Amino acid sequence: MTLTLSILAWALPLGGAIVPWAGARARGTAAATAAGGAGSLAAAIALAVRIVSGHPLKLLGGFIYVDSLSAFFVATVALVVTLAGLGSYAYLRAEEERGELSALQVRLYGTFFALFASLMLAALQTGNLGLLWVLVEASTLASAVLVALEARATSLEAAWKYIIISSFGVTIALVGTLFVYYSAILVHVSPDQRLTWPTLFAHASVLQAPSLRLAFLLVLVGYGTKVGLAPMHTWLPDAHSEAPSPASAMLSAALLNTGMYAIIRFQALTTPQLGRYANNVLLIFGFASLLVGALFMIGCGNFKRLFAYSSIEHMGIIAVALGFGGVLGFYGALLQTLTHAIGKSVLFLSGGEVVLRYRTRNASEVRGLLPLVPVTGLALLLGSLAILGSPPFGVFLSEFTIVRASFASQASWLGFFLLALLVIAFVAFSGTTVSMVFGTRPRGTASLSALPRRVGAVPLVAGLGLLLLLGLWIPGGLNELIMHAIKAMA
Amino acid sequence: MTSAYTTLLNLASVLILLFAFACLGSKLFDRYVGYYAIQSVLLSVVAAIVAYDLDAPALWALAVLTLLIKGVGIPVATRRYLLARLSLKRDAAIALGLSTTLIIGAVLTGLAYFAMRPSTLPGRLLDTAAVPLAMAVVLLGGLCMVVRRHTIAQLLGWLIVENGVFLGAITLVATFPFIVEAGIFLDLVAGVLIMLALVSGLAQRLASASADDLRRLNG
Repeated sequence: MTLTLSILAWALPLGGAIVPWAGARARGTAAATAAGGAGSLAAAIALAVRIVSGHPLKLLGGFIYVDSLSAFFVATVALVVTLAGLGSYAYLRAEEERGELSALQVRLYGTFFALFASLMLAALQTGNLGLLWVLVEASTLASAVLVALEARATSLEAAWKYIIISSFGVTIALVGTLFVYYSAILVHVSPDQRLTWPTLFAHASVLQAPSLRLAFLLVLVGYGTKVGLAPMHTWLPDAHSEAPSPASAMLSAALLNTGMYAIIRFQALTTPQLGRYANNVLLIFGFASLLVGALFMIGCGNFKRLFAYSSIEHMGIIAVALGFGGVLGFYGALLQTLTHAIGKSVLFLSGGEVVLRYRTRNASEVRGLLPLVPVTGLALLLGSLAILGSPPFGVFLSEFTIVRASFASQASWLGFFLLALLVIAFVAFSGTTVSMVFGTRPRGTASLSALPRRVGAVPLVAGLGLLLLLGLWIPGGLNELIMHAIKAMA
Repeated sequence: MTSAYTTLLNLASVLILLFAFACLGSKLFDRYVGYYAIQSVLLSVVAAIVAYDLDAPALWALAVLTLLIKGVGIPVATRRYLLARLSLKRDAAIALGLSTTLIIGAVLTGLAYFAMRPSTLPGRLLDTAAVPLAMAVVLLGGLCMVVRRHTIAQLLGWLIVENGVFLGAITLVATFPFIVEAGIFLDLVAGVLIMLALVSGLAQRLASASADDLRRLNG
């Protein structure tokens, strides 16, 4: 039963890849994509419930391995796939009606969106670090096709930059994985098991420290390229701004988290031998990302790039939280992963409707969104406030937890640094988005037909509702899942 | 591990490093691809040597796959679908002079030896030079991606990095699970196909697919 749920969670999104080749057009493709996401989310939640109340799922010598940490990330990613799948409906219908996307492009979108989602969900459910690498690299390749989908010179350029920088980065992570394998050379298990996370974790205190140290650095630089940690972040703003908006939401809210998941796994392996070594490295890279994200937000004219810099900033916050460590830091990191994923999906999807209406990504040309499309305008406004950490939304709670973790650590002055950077990000980000929402709207905005508009509003309302809920009350099951994951990693 | 085995392994690894240097020192696209092909054939020889030594059927399969895909498939596809179709000959988009590049390459090779010194690598592998050489190949491929601005040169740079990692993988650990090795191969093939499509798309849009023209986005 647990195995079935695990397979359903990664296999259901593939429906979106089959339907378009069977003759479906934009409507059918988008419906299959959204339905696949919703089915996967249901399976992921059921899987999480079973894992928390029972044992981790471990099969085929650890090639399939789902513990509470995996289950948490699978549920988060499946939620993003669902929201982005619903957002795909408005995007595909509007672009098809306008004749911007050919039938082939719709097919490619459906296929590679499905592959991208499925590969990430599978990557989160394997205990074999080599297979994890294979699946993460494959998801990079699938998402690069999405970035290039609109085939403008700029989107091809962004896709090239993305694929070449990320592939190089992830290859470095493979070298790190080799050294992790090598550090287990004195552990007497079969060679397969030396790459299997639960086995390595059980023997973490006998791993060879020198090669483990080298391995963690290589892995952090490698997977950190995927996460968008500074200074390896340079592909991220381009890819996020050039991809179709639902794909941007997937990149920012799902792909970055998948990379972070890999880093968390390796961090857990280093603790017994290296102590706080990994924490300190994570703090350095985390603060660098926070700084880069916050500073580049100032005066950023393209609102999709603005959202992308905010993703770099948030990944920095998560890395910092992992660096502080302890129950508080880890709790904050996982909660922040979830709240950022929801908030950023809402922002990219509402930004996507702005692109469809105004045909521009330049924030200064977008005015009067609230009178033109009240739901999207409100979602953009509230989503911005939420992602910046205003109460009563969930991000406030998770960032508050992380700031508390920083004051509880030995270096409590870092907490003030963190707060200062959050304030800079708040001012820079809200200044741009708030002025998009108000004011008088320019002439010549495009209209959307009724159905895509209504379907497009669903993920925005649902996402904001969830964020509000998480800000006021953390459901008992979620709390238990996170606590369970923390216990499994310590 | 016999001494003849170690000698052969070291010899092949040194030759692999030399062909990475050859790529760095050349200006003709045709040569880049040719050197990559020879390097890949040498890599399949290394895989075969290790396979013979350990008597591992999975490694024999990898040696054959390397020969067919990296030694023949990728070079032929790159020549036919990019170089011939876009009539590319000379790489003019080099950020640094060739001699400077080669000196930096030499420094990086030294750095690889320094990073892989015995204290980092306890255990049985001290008698082969292949691991530091593999790291040097990784760094040289990275250097190639940085100093060459043409997209095809960057693609080949990544492939050289990948060859370096593969050399490291078969000499350092030898017995990666076959399914993982096969997955790495699959990723490589899919990656090259998508990159080839992107390069030819860029070439159509920009007339020359040099990364020098890729300046519209800055981030």
